Amino acid sequence: MHPVPSVFEGSSDTIAVLVLLTEFAMLRAALLRAQLRLYAAQSLLLSALAIVVAASRHVPELYVLAGLSFVLKVLVVPWVVTRLLRDTSTEIAGSGALGVASEVLVALVAAAFGFFAIGALNIQSRVLPKTALSLAFAVVLVAFVLIIVRSDLISQAVGFFSLENGVSLASLVVASGLPLILEVAFLFDLLVAVVIFGVLARVTHGRSGTMSTSMLNALRG
Amino acid sequence: MSAVLVALLCIGFAAALICLVAPPAAMKAVTVVAGVGSLGLAASLVPTVGGRDVTASHYLRVDSLSLVFVLATALVYALVSVYCIGYVEGEHGGQDVDRYLRRFYVGINVFGASMIAAPLVNGLALLWIAIEVTTVVSALLVAIDVSDNSTEAAWKYLLIASVGLGIALLATIVMDYAGTQVFGTSFDLSYLPLIHAGHRLPATPVRLAFVLAVMGFGTKVGLAPMHTWLPDAHAEAPTPVSAMLSGALLTTSFYAVLRYFQIARAALGPQFPREVMLAFGIVSLLLAALYLLDQRDIKRLFAYSSIEHMGVLAIGMSFASPLALFGVLLHVIAHAAAKGNAFMGAGVMVRKYGGKRLADYHGGLSLLPWTGPLLLASVLALSASPPSAMFRSEFSIVAGGFADGGNAAAAVLVALVTVAFVGLTLASTRVLFGAPPRPAPGTDSPLYHPGEPSVWMVVPMVGGIAILLLLGVHVPADLAHVLSRGAAELGGGR
Amino acid sequence: MTLTPPAAQALQVITVAGGSPLVSGVIGRVEARLQGRRGTRVLQPYYDLAKLFRKESLAPESASWVFLATPFIAFVAYLSVPLLIPVLTNYPLPLGYMGDILGGGLILALGGFFTATAAAETSSPYAQIAASRVKTFGALAEPTLLLVFVAVATITSTDLPYALAGTIHHSTAQIVRPGHLLAAAALLCVILFETGRIPIEGHHGTNEFGFIDEGKPFEHSGPYYALLKWGSHIKQMVLYTIFLDVFLVPWGLAGTGSPGHVALAIPIVLGKCAGLGVVVAVIDDNWAKLRLYKITEFLAAAFLLAVLAIFTLIVGGG
Repeated sequence: MHPVPSVFEGSSDTIAVLVLLTEFAMLRAALLRAQLRLYAAQSLLLSALAIVVAASRHVPELYVLAGLSFVLKVLVVPWVVTRLLRDTSTEIAGSGALGVASEVLVALVAAAFGFFAIGALNIQSRVLPKTALSLAFAVVLVAFVLIIVRSDLISQAVGFFSLENGVSLASLVVASGLPLILEVAFLFDLLVAVVIFGVLARVTHGRSGTMSTSMLNALRG
Repeated sequence: MSAVLVALLCIGFAAALICLVAPPAAMKAVTVVAGVGSLGLAASLVPTVGGRDVTASHYLRVDSLSLVFVLATALVYALVSVYCIGYVEGEHGGQDVDRYLRRFYVGINVFGASMIAAPLVNGLALLWIAIEVTTVVSALLVAIDVSDNSTEAAWKYLLIASVGLGIALLATIVMDYAGTQVFGTSFDLSYLPLIHAGHRLPATPVRLAFVLAVMGFGTKVGLAPMHTWLPDAHAEAPTPVSAMLSGALLTTSFYAVLRYFQIARAALGPQFPREVMLAFGIVSLLLAALYLLDQRDIKRLFAYSSIEHMGVLAIGMSFASPLALFGVLLHVIAHAAAKGNAFMGAGVMVRKYGGKRLADYHGGLSLLPWTGPLLLASVLALSASPPSAMFRSEFSIVAGGFADGGNAAAAVLVALVTVAFVGLTLASTRVLFGAPPRPAPGTDSPLYHPGEPSVWMVVPMVGGIAILLLLGVHVPADLAHVLSRGAAELGGGR
Repeated sequence: MTLTPPAAQALQVITVAGGSPLVSGVIGRVEARLQGRRGTRVLQPYYDLAKLFRKESLAPESASWVFLATPFIAFVAYLSVPLLIPVLTNYPLPLGYMGDILGGGLILALGGFFTATAAAETSSPYAQIAASRVKTFGALAEPTLLLVFVAVATITSTDLPYALAGTIHHSTAQIVRPGHLLAAAALLCVILFETGRIPIEGHHGTNEFGFIDEGKPFEHSGPYYALLKWGSHIKQMVLYTIFLDVFLVPWGLAGTGSPGHVALAIPIVLGKCAGLGVVVAVIDDNWAKLRLYKITEFLAAAFLLAVLAIFTLIVGGG
C-alpha cells in the first residue's frame, strides 16, 4: 500500500497520464488530421504541466519554456504539417502492419515494460512524482510502436515528434532545472527537424506521388 | 590557444556563409581553405594538448580525447574538400548546376563544421545539439541527388537517427538529473565536474543514462542492431558525403558515447560500461563481418566495413589496458583516413564504370593507373595490413586485450576481423584485378581507355595514404602524447 | 430520533426502485431537447410502466420457463444491489458487508445472463442477435470491470463499496490520483456499454439490427416486459450510483441516521444521477453510433484505461 500522493502530485500525474493516453489515441487515429490534432493536444498538456510545475515549485524559467513550447508545438508544428497535408492532399494514415486492437495490445506491453522498468529504478525527483518519469518512458516506447507499425511518412514523423514530447515530459520530471538556453536549443532543434522532415516528405511525395512508405523498399542487403 | 578553438569552431560555418553567395569557383576554393585550415588549426593544437587542456570561455574545451576526434574529422574534411572539386564536375543529379553546387557546398561546410564543433564543446547538452545538427544537415546531403534511392535512404536515415538522438536526449536529461543531485540546480552538464564527481553521482541514473547514450548515440555510430540506416545512407549519398559520414560522423558520435563512458566509469567503476561496450561491439563486428562476405555494391561494402570498425572500437573500449585505449584512439584517426580514402576511391570507380555494382567492375588496376593502386592500398589498410596505421592500432587493441586478460574478447576480435578481411579483399581483388572490359565492336567510351576521371579526385587519396603510412611507421611524439593522455582520460590502466 | 439501519437500507432499495424511471425520464427529456424536439414528459417512464402492467402477456411457443422467470429474476437481482452500495448513507448498513463490489457485479451479471438467455429462447432474430452480441462484447467488458475492481482494491486495500466511498470522501487528494481517475473513466465506458448508450447503440427509435441491449426484451410483453423495462431503469441507476457515490462524488450522503439527513439524501442522489444522465445525453448527442465492429475498439480503449490505472497505482502509488 502506497501513501496517498498529494493533490499536486496527483494532478501532475494525471496530466502525465493524459499525455500517455493521447499517445495511445494517436495509435488509433486513422485520419492524419486527427493524429495531428492529438499531437497538438499532447503538446498543450505538456505546456500545462510545465505551468503547473512552474507555479507550484517556483521555477520561473518554466513559464518561458511553456510559452515557447506552446507556440512551437501547439501552433507551428501542426501548422507546418497541415500545410504539407493540404499540398499533397493526403488524408488517411497508412494502415499499419497490425490491426488496431493488436496495435494497442503491443503498445500496452511496450508501455508496461517502460513503466515497470523505470519504476523499478526508483529514481526520485524533487519536482514531480516518479510515476511521471515512468509515464514519460512509456510515452517514448508507445511512440516507437507508432513509428514502427505505421506505414506513411506523416505518421512516422508525427510519431517522432510525439516521442520528443515524451522526452520533454521526462525532462520536466527529472531535469526541470535544465538551463533555459539548452531547453530553447532543444526546441529550436525540433523546429529544424520538422522542416527537414517536411522537405524530405515533399521530395518523396514529388517523386512517387504518395506518402506511403511501401515505396521505400529498394535498398536492402 | 583559445583563439584557435574559436577559429576552429567558426571556420567551417564561415565557409558555409560565403558559399551562400559566392560564385562556384570561389565556393570550391573557400571549402578547400576551410577544410585544410581546420586540419592545420587542429594540428597546431597537438603539441599543447599533449600537455594540458585548452579552453575558451566556459563553452569550448579541448582535451586529448576530443582533440583526437577533431583531428580525425578535420582530416576527412580537408581530404573531401579537395575531392569535391573533381566530384562536382560530373554530378548534379540532373538539376540546375548552380543551385546544386550551392546546396552541396553549403551542406558540406555546415556538416564539417558541426562535426568539428561536437568534440569542441564543453558539455553533454551542447554535444547533443551539435550532433543533432550533423544529423539534420547530413540527411539533406544524403538526399541531395533527389533520386528514388537517395530519398529513401535519407528518410530512413533521418527517422532512425532522429529517434536515436531522442533516446540520446533522454540520456542527457537523466545525466542532468544525476548531476543536479550532486551540484544543485545551477549545474550545466559540463564534463569535468561530472567526471570528478565520481562515486558521488547516484549510480542508478548514471547507469540508465549510459545505456541510453550507448543506444541513442550508438544509433549514429552504427552499432548493431541500430545500424540499419547506415548502409543505405552511405551507399546513396554523394561520395564526398559518404566519406564524411563514414570517416567523421560515425566517430563523432562515438566520441559522444566515450564521454558517457568516462562519466559512467568514474561513477560506477569500469566493469559495467566495459561490458556494455563489449556486447555492442561484438554484435556489430559479427554482423558486419558476415555481411561483408556477400555484397554486390561497392559503397555498401565499405559501409559494412565501417560498422566492422565501429565494432572494433567498441570492443577496444572494453579492454582496460592503456595500450588498447591508445589503439582505439589511433584507430579513430586511421579509420578516418583509410575509410575516407576507400570511399573516395569507390567514387572514382563509380564515375569510371557508371554504376555501383561490383559485378560490373573488372581490371580497375589497369584502367585507373592511380586510383586502382590507391584503392588497393586503402582496402589493405582497412584490413589492417602492415605497415598502415590501422595495423598499428588494431595490433595495439588486440595486444592490450591479451595483456589485460580479456583473452576471449580479443580472440573473438581477431577471428571476426579476419572474416571481414576475407570479405573485403575478395570483393576488391575481383574488382581490381582481371582483364578490363572490352568495348563491343563499333562502340567507344571513355570507360575503355585507361585514365583518371579527375586529378582532383586522386590528390586527396595520395594524401590519405601518406598519412596512413606515416602513422603506421612512426607516430609523431606530440601525437603519441595526445593519444596516451587520451587513453589515460578514458581510464586506461585503472 | 434516528432511522434504524435496516429501515435506511430498505429506503435505499425503495429510492432506487422508485427513482430510477425518473432518471431515465430526465435523460430522455434532455436528449430530446438537445436534438431540438420537445420530448416526452419527465414522468413518461412511469406512465409507460403503468400502461404495460395493464396489458396482456404473450410468450413465444418455443419459450420455456426461463423466458417467463427471467423478468422476475432480473428485477430482483438488480434491486438487491442497492443493499450493498452507498445510495443514501455513507456509513455502512448491516447488509452492506454481505457482498463486496465484486459481489454486486456478479449479481448484475446474473440479471444480464438471464435476460440474454431468455432472449435466446425466443425465435425472434432481433432478440437472438441482441443476446449473442451482448455476450460477445461482454467478454471484453467484464475483464475491464474486473480490472476496475482490482484498481479499487489497490487504492483502498478492500473491495467494499462503502470503504472506497469513505476513502474518497476523506481526502480530495484521492480524487485527482490518476489511478483513480483512469479507473473511473474505464468504469464510465463500461457503464455506457452496459446501459446501451451511444456510442454503443441508439437508445430509442426504430427497430434495427444494431440493437444490442434494447433488442433483448423484444419478445416480452405486458407486465413481463414492464418488469424488464423497470429492471433496466434500476440497473442504470445502480450503475450510475456506483459511479457517483463510490467513485466520483461521494458527497451529499447522509452521515447519520437522522430522518432529515436521510430524506435530504434522496433528492440529492436522484439529482446526481440525473446530472450524470445529462452528461450521458450530451455524449449521446455529440457522438455517432459506432459501427458494430468498432465496438471492440471502444471496449479495448476502456480496457486500456483500466490497465493503465493499475500500472500507475502499482508503480507510483498514483
